[in-house]
Formats: sequence, C-alpha cells, structure tokens
Amino acid sequence: MIEEGKLGVQEAVWLITIAIISKVFFSGPTTMVAIVGNADWYVTILSAAIAMIGFVFIYLLLKRFPEKDITEIFNLSLGRFFGFIFSGILALYMLFVSSTRLAEFSEVFKVYILPLSPNWYIIGFFIVSVFVLSRLGLESMARFSKLAAYPMLTGLIVVLALSARNYNIKNIYPILGHGLSKTITTGIMRSSIYGEIIILAIFAKAFQGIKYIRREGIISIGLSALIISASLLAFTLTFPYYIAQELLGLVYQMAELIDYGPFFQRIEPITLFIWIISALISITIIFYSFVLIFCKMFKIQDKKPIILGGVTIIYAVSLIHKDITTIIFRNIDFMRNLGSIVFFILPLLTLIVAAIRKKGDRQNA
Amino acid sequence: MRKVVAAFILIILMLNLTSCYDAIEINNMLHVVAIGVDRGVSDKWRLTLQFPTIKGSGGGSQSSGGGGQEEYTHVTIDAPSFFAGINMLNASLPRRLTFMHAQIIVFSEELAKSGLIDEYITSIHRFREIRQSAHMLIVKGKADEFLKENEPFIGNLVAKSFQMLINESNNTGFFPRVTLEDFYSGLKSSYRQPIATLTAINDFKSFQKEGEPWETGFKTGGDYIAGKLPRIGKNKIELFGTALFDGGTMVGELSGDETRYMLMVRDEFERGFFTMKDPKEQEMIIALDVRGPTKPKIKVTLDDTVPVIHLKMHLNADILAIQSGVNYEHPKLKVLLEKEFQQIIKNGIEKVVRKCQNLNTDVFMFGDHAIKNFLTIDDLENYNWNSHFEDAKVTVEVKVAIRRTGTQIDGQLARDTERDE
Repeated sequence: MIEEGKLGVQEAVWLITIAIISKVFFSGPTTMVAIVGNADWYVTILSAAIAMIGFVFIYLLLKRFPEKDITEIFNLSLGRFFGFIFSGILALYMLFVSSTRLAEFSEVFKVYILPLSPNWYIIGFFIVSVFVLSRLGLESMARFSKLAAYPMLTGLIVVLALSARNYNIKNIYPILGHGLSKTITTGIMRSSIYGEIIILAIFAKAFQGIKYIRREGIISIGLSALIISASLLAFTLTFPYYIAQELLGLVYQMAELIDYGPFFQRIEPITLFIWIISALISITIIFYSFVLIFCKMFKIQDKKPIILGGVTIIYAVSLIHKDITTIIFRNIDFMRNLGSIVFFILPLLTLIVAAIRKKGDRQNA
Repeated sequence: MRKVVAAFILIILMLNLTSCYDAIEINNMLHVVAIGVDRGVSDKWRLTLQFPTIKGSGGGSQSSGGGGQEEYTHVTIDAPSFFAGINMLNASLPRRLTFMHAQIIVFSEELAKSGLIDEYITSIHRFREIRQSAHMLIVKGKADEFLKENEPFIGNLVAKSFQMLINESNNTGFFPRVTLEDFYSGLKSSYRQPIATLTAINDFKSFQKEGEPWETGFKTGGDYIAGKLPRIGKNKIELFGTALFDGGTMVGELSGDETRYMLMVRDEFERGFFTMKDPKEQEMIIALDVRGPTKPKIKVTLDDTVPVIHLKMHLNADILAIQSGVNYEHPKLKVLLEKEFQQIIKNGIEKVVRKCQNLNTDVFMFGDHAIKNFLTIDDLENYNWNSHFEDAKVTVEVKVAIRRTGTQIDGQLARDTERDE
C-alpha cells in the first residue's frame, strides 16, 4: 500500500498555492491580457470563485467516500472500467500539464537567461531536481514548499512594492477591458488556473481528514487568488494593456524596470529565484500526482521505477514541442480552456453517478 | 552501491555547476554603452556603437589621481538591420558585443523625421539584451558624430556620467527623462504620443565672446533648444528640450521652458529654478525655486463632439532672488508675485498645448484621463483619442503658493548714495 505520510494545513496550503501561482511567471498573464485586456486582475477572482464551486464538488465527493482518494472513488462510484478510464484521463492530463509547463519554463528561461544553452541541457538539469524531489515523496515536497514559501513571498512583495514607482493608476481604465461578456466567459473558462486544487483529492489520505481538506482547499484558492490578482494588478498598473499583451514573462520585465538610481537597479535575479523554485514545486507535484494515479490504476506498490520512467517521459515530451508559440497558443490554451473539465467536471460526474447508484457513505452525502 | 551512485551523480552535477553552459568570460565581451542610429548610405541603417577600449583591464595602468580615465571608442557600420549590423561588426571586433549595459539609444533627427524610427524601435525592443530602462534621445545632427563627442566629462565612465546627466532632468525640468519602454508605449498607444529627450553637440557658436553688453532685455534661460545654449567649456554634449512625435514620426520640438510646462502637466516636473520679470520693476528679475508637489487635476469630458479638458494645477515655490529689493516677502506683495507667476505658467501651458494641438500630438497624457470616459477597450480604440486631441478645448487653472523666502524675510537693496537721496 502506498503511504504518503501526514501533512499539516500549512504545508498543504503552501504546496497547492505555489503549484497554482507559478503560472504568474510564465506566459499566462500575457495571454490573459490579450483576451480580456486590463480586466485581467479581477477576471482571475471570478475564475477563483468558479474554482471554489468546483472544489465544492470535489469536497462533497471526498465527504461521500471518507478515507478514500480520487482514484479509489472513481472505481467505487463508476465501477472498475469507467473508474480506470477517469483515472487514466486525469493521469494523462497531469502528465501533459507537467511536460507542457516544463517546456514553457525552458523556453521562457532560454529567452531571458540562457539563450545559448540547448533545451536538453536546461530541461535535463530541471528534470534531475524533479526526480530527486519526487523520490523524497509528498511529505518532503510539502515541507520544502512551506520552507520556500516565505522567502518567495517576501521576494514577490519586494518586487511588487519596488515597482510602485512605475505604476500608473490610469492603466486600469477602461475598467471593463474587452467587455463584460468576454470577462465573464473567460473568468469561467479559465477557472482551470486554480485546477491544482485537485491535488487535495489525489493525495486525500495524506491530509488528515475531510475537515482539514475543506479548510486547505478554501485557504489555498483564496490565497492563490489574492497573489495572482495582486500580481496581475501590478502588471496592469505598470504596462498598458497594449504593451502587456505583447510581453513574455511580465514579472521579469517589470523587475527590469525597477531603477532607483545607479546603486539600486537590476534586481531581476530576485524574480529568477521565485520563478525557478515555484516552477520546480509546481512541476514536481503535478508529475508526482501522475505517478501516484498511475501506480493506483495498475496496483503498483513501488513508485520508484515509475518515477524514473515518468521523468524520462516528461523529459522527452517536453523536448519534442515544435516552438514556443505552439506551447503558448496551442498547448496552454488547450489546458486553460478545457482543464476545468478534467479538474472539476470529472469529480462532478462521479458525484452524480455515486448519488444515482447510491454509492459511498450516504450519511455524509 | 547507492552511495557510489549518489556520489557519482553529485560529481557530475558539480562539474556542470562550475559555470553556465553558455558562459562567456567577461574579458571576451565588449560592453556597448551607447547605440547611435542614422539613416545609412550603403544600406538602410547606419549603426554606431560606443564601448570602452578596456586597455586598462590588465591592471596597474592607472593615472596618479587614482581610477584612471576609461578610454572609449566607437565603430560605425551601414547595415540592413540592427542585428545584421551587430554580426557584421563582429567580423572586425575581437570580442563579442553585448548590450546589457547599453544606457543610451540615440536616433538622428533626420531619421526621426523620416518616420522610420518605429521600424527600428520595435526590433530592438524585442531584443533581450537591451534593457527597457535605456534612455531614448533624438540628436540634432548625426548620431555617429554625437557618439564621437560622448566622453566622460566629469568622472571616468560614460554610462555613469550620462546617467547623472539624465538625472538632472529632475532638478531642472529642461528635458524629459524618457526610457525605451516609455517611448515604445507611446508608439503603440491610441491615446498618447511618444516623446524623446532632445540632445545635440554644442559647437559653442551661440556664445558671443565679444559684443555690446546685455542691457535690460529679458530671457528666462529656458527658451533654447539643445545645441544652442550660449556657453563654452569642455563638454560639447547637452540635453535640452523635447522631441515631439506623431506615431513614429518626429513632428516638432519643445524648448526648455516648453518642456517644463509639458512635464508639469504630465506630473513629471519635480523642480526647477524659474526667472520672471519683477512685476513692479520690469527691468529687474525675480528667481523662484519651483516644485510641483501636488498631482495636477485633469478632467476630460467627451459629452459634445469636441473633447473638453480642464486642467487644474498647484505649484509651490520659494523665492531665490529679488533684484529690485521690493519687499515681496510681505503678504500683500507676495500675493501680487504669486498672481503674476500664476499667469506666466498659465500662459506658458496654454501656448505649449496649442502648439502640440497644431502638431496633433498629445504629449501631455490627457488621453490617460480621457480613457476614464470609456467602459471598454473597443470603445476607446474606436474613438481614437489621438485624432481628436487637436480639436479639444483646453482650460487651464494654475495656483501658485510662495512658501518660503530663502534665508531672508525682508530683503533690502544695497545702499547707494544716489538712490538714498
């Protein structure tokens, strides 16, 4: 039986929050501005609200099947065959997300930091870290997240505060961006930004009971929404919408503009630190989710060989992308628009089927 | 066995961590400090790069003053693009050019007026090595000539020297401080236009060594443009005034005084010494230290077919000098002085706004206030503020408060027998 240890609320919250907010450092904000304009900072709050509803489905499902994780619940609710299919979809999606995020990381990193290093070198080094962290397991990952969270948050606050000199409050106008209907539809579609909340269901047994999972879920989504919204607002105040929709890596670009005279400028390395650590935690936990689901699907007790095989697969998959535009405009767009189906609709369908088939603990239903 | 494998992996990792895969030794790089762009003759663009010769990098060869003067040189090439030019230049330079420390980007006035500047800017804005905080300048004359004259006048380093010169914008207001990011943002906007710092080589011809002494005429000291200041000295380079753009085309320029008024409206004016005629004794002058501590209040309404802009501004000033000895420190006379100065600023702003309206270039960022009238970006872009600015009705209201009177509260004229009688 696969054991993942026991995690406290803080560890869980930071693990999930970092997994969610790492997108801020990639192309996510740029594409968001391209769609909704300068309304991005409150669209994400709408997305968080929708994700919170999605989390309610996950919570109700976990409550109906106490002491079970999502893979087991799929099997119990839908039967072995459909449970296997649902678990397979979730596992493959997690693999797709982790490899796409890794590919995006390497490409954006190449643009700004290591333009001459080949992808195999950047991804190779990163994948070694993913492998080591995965081997250490969920408990170590969560503790590392909690440890890294405070300096990361401090760094982010420092960058946002120092950028205040470049803020132009008038950039928030026109207040509705590209229009209310676009704002609402995008807010709903992009709730997948907070989809990593499903990790609470994947590792449900490690979070010490449904009461704690509920608290961890609410705090994680709320905290992530706060950080993402504050970051997007900072980008909006720094760059007008027509500039923000062009730039790749807005945090980095924003930090580059910080200039308080010859002795206080060039503080982009702070953003690098935050970016790399958050990407490492995010990619590892998503990859590790894939490993766990895969092991449960095929009743494999030893994760180690799967981790080794898994990192080899994401290494290869993240290398075979065509170019950065394919990653941003095809893969990530696909993930953002359809991710909610995997993260929130699958649990909802499972919940409905469980209710119809009268599966699970009906006292908790 | 595990420990052996772990040790082996660690050793491999450590070997890789000794330096980046694509590391370049600092000695193998040539740090460009300034980029100059003119219209080319043999090809579309004439690219000039200025960089240190790093002759003293071997150590030891320093002047007796400590920290010897860094030597700079420059290269110029005609090329089809900025990036082609870099590669072409690297055929004759024994080090790799890097632009991470490039602080100055200078375009010639001719190029700016030809409307080609946006072609060039959009490509260098994309280039990761050039920082968005680099300063944008338009030079009257040739950019390559400008870079030849761009040498550290005080201190050792061009970049630092120039940075400090640019910072003087905050202290004088005679020229704006414009970064690549600011300029690019203006180029892409539908509701503001770009500006750039105006610079030139002063040939010192404006300085008249001989002639009739100045009598009672009046000049503010700011009604010049770059290259025309009546001065002599070692440093030939000067920054003075503003280049105005309509999109990617330079359409005009503002003098030092006009630049101050523009910066006041943009809320970018920090401080400057102003000279005005004495209201009571017109042949005498009064000097004021003016600061702009409060944000100008700008309201733009679009109810009618023409936009209406109402500008309200509050300035603080200290008295620096009263040549006439009239007691303007006294509350009653202080009000007179304030009203007179208010009128000067009001007239100045109205004049410069009219000038820019005639050129159809909103460099005051009125558009930033106009956008509050729109709910969506599509509405804003359909309206196209830049095309409506020339028709706008602008009203200006200025308040000036003289807060302090320097180290004197009752200045008296020097005693003079004739005047005493």
